Amino acid sequence: MALLLVLILPLGFAGIWRLQHGIDSQLASVSQERDDVLLRSGKLVKWMSLEYSPLLADIYWTRVVQYYGNKHVRGQVNLEMLWPLLDVTTSLDPNLLVAYRFGAMFLSQAPPAGAGRPDQAVELIRRGIQANPDYWRLYEDLGFVYYFDLKDYQKASEAFLEGSKKPDAQVWMKIMAAKIAAEGESFSSSMFLWNDIYESSSDPLIKKNARQRMKLLKAQEDCKQLDALADEYAKRNGRRPARMSDLVQAGLLRGLPADPEGFAYVFGEDGKAELNLDSPLLEQQLLLERLNKAVPR
Amino acid sequence: MKRVGIVALNTFREAVRDRVLYNLVFFALLMMLAAVVVGQISIGIEESVIVSLGLSAISVIGLLISVFIGVALVSKEMEKRTLYALLAKPVRRWEFLLGKFGGLVLTLAVNIAAMAAGLFLVMLYVKHSLQQSDAVVLVAVYFIWLKLALIVALALMFSCFTTPLLAILFTAGLYIVGLYVQELRNLPVDVMSPAMAAFTKWLSYLLPNFENFNVMAMAAHGRAVPGRLILQNTLYAVIYCAIVLTGAAAVFSRKNLK
Repeated sequence: MALLLVLILPLGFAGIWRLQHGIDSQLASVSQERDDVLLRSGKLVKWMSLEYSPLLADIYWTRVVQYYGNKHVRGQVNLEMLWPLLDVTTSLDPNLLVAYRFGAMFLSQAPPAGAGRPDQAVELIRRGIQANPDYWRLYEDLGFVYYFDLKDYQKASEAFLEGSKKPDAQVWMKIMAAKIAAEGESFSSSMFLWNDIYESSSDPLIKKNARQRMKLLKAQEDCKQLDALADEYAKRNGRRPARMSDLVQAGLLRGLPADPEGFAYVFGEDGKAELNLDSPLLEQQLLLERLNKAVPR
Repeated sequence: MKRVGIVALNTFREAVRDRVLYNLVFFALLMMLAAVVVGQISIGIEESVIVSLGLSAISVIGLLISVFIGVALVSKEMEKRTLYALLAKPVRRWEFLLGKFGGLVLTLAVNIAAMAAGLFLVMLYVKHSLQQSDAVVLVAVYFIWLKLALIVALALMFSCFTTPLLAILFTAGLYIVGLYVQELRNLPVDVMSPAMAAFTKWLSYLLPNFENFNVMAMAAHGRAVPGRLILQNTLYAVIYCAIVLTGAAAVFSRKNLK
C-alpha cells in the first residue's frame, strides 16, 4: 500500500502539472485577456469587508501595483481599470497615503508611463487631501500634476503654496510656489521636482522613470544652449554650423558635448541641436512627444 | 470565587490539550510569508500590511476559537455527561459558567499574546527597529481581546438555551450585526415613523457594537489611540459581558438538565 502511494502520488501530481499547463495554453488561445474589477463601488466593498478594510485596502493596492506593473512590462497603454481599483483602495482605507501618491503618478503621466488621465489624478489627490489635510506631500503631488501634466502653472503654484503652510512642509515648497508663479515651466523647477520624486521614492520602477525624465530634461536644456551657441556662431560666420566640431573649432565649446547617456549631440537638418540617432534617449523622447500630442488634455 | 478559578484553569488546560494553540504555527507561517512576499509584489505598504495582516489574522483566528469553542464549552459537557458529575459537587451553575468563560478568555489571552509577540518580531524584521508609535498595535491587540471576550460571552449564552449549530449561527449573526450598528444609526429617520425611528435608535444602543473595538486602520498607520477610548472600551466590554453572562446564568440555572 505504502509503495503504491509512493508511486501514485508523484506520478499523479506530475500528470496534473502537465495537464494544467495544457489547460492554461488552451484557455489562453480561446480567451482574450480580461481586466475585471467586479465590485466597483468602494462603499459597497468597504461595507462587505466587515472590520478588515485596512487589510483589504492593502490587497487592492497590491492589485493596483500588479495591474500597472503588468501593463507597463507588456507596453500596453490601456489602463482603464486603474481608476476603479484606486477608487476602491482609497475608499477602503482613506489614510493609505501611498495609494494617493503613487496612484496619482500612475494616472497622470502620459502613456506608456501612465494612464494619461491627469484629471483623475487631481481628483484622487484632492480626495486624499480631504482625508489627510495635514500631509504636505499630497500638495506637492497636486502641484506636480498641475505643473507637468496639465501645464496649469497658476494652480500648480497655489498647490505648492497651500502645501507649504502644512506642518513639516519643506521650505522649498514656498520657493517653488513663487518660482512657478513668476516663471511658469523652467528647467531648474522641473529638474528639482523630478529629483525630489527620485530621492523620495524607494520603488525601482518610479526611480527609473524619474531618472529617465531627468536625463531627457538635461538633454533638452543642453540642446537649447547648443542652439544659442549655434546662433552666436551664425552671427560671427554668416552661416549656421554644420556639425558640433564647428563650434569647438570656433572656440565656443571646449569639446564635443554629449548627452547624459554619453552620445554626442548632432545638428539636425533644420540646424537645431538634437539627440544622436544612436542615443537610447532619442526613442524615449520621440515616444513622449508622440504621446503628448496623441493624449487629449 | 476559588471554584470559578478551578473551573477556569481546567477549561484552559482542556483547550491546550485539544491543541487549540496549534493555530500559532499557522499564524507564524502566514506572517513569515507576508514579510517576505509583500515587499516583492507591492509598493510602500511593507510596514502597514504587516500590521493589517497580523491584526486581521489575530482577529479571525480568535473569532473562530471564540465562537466554536465558546459554544462547545457547555454543550460538550452536557453531551459527554461530565456536567452532571461536576454539578453534583459544591459548584453552583453560575460559577461553572463564569469559570468556563474565564478559562476560554484566559486561553485567548495566551493565544493572542503569543501572536502579538510574533507580530512584533515580524515588524522588527521588516522595519529594523520599533518606535514608540508602534505601541498602538498593542492597543489594537487588546481591543481584539476585549471583542473576543464579548463574543465568548454571547456564544456561552446562546449555547445555554439552543443547539450548538444554532448557537454558532446566532453568535456569528450578532457579531456581523454588531459591526453595522453605526449604519443602523445612520438610517434616514426622516422617512420613518417616530416609533420606528425610536426603535432603531434604541436597538443600535442595545446591540453589541463591535466597531468600537476596531482600531486596525489607526494601528496600521501608527496613529495614537486616545487613552480615554481604551478606558471606555474596557468598561463597555466588562459591563456588556456582565450583562450577557448574567442572562446566561439565569437561563442555565433554570435549565432542566435531566
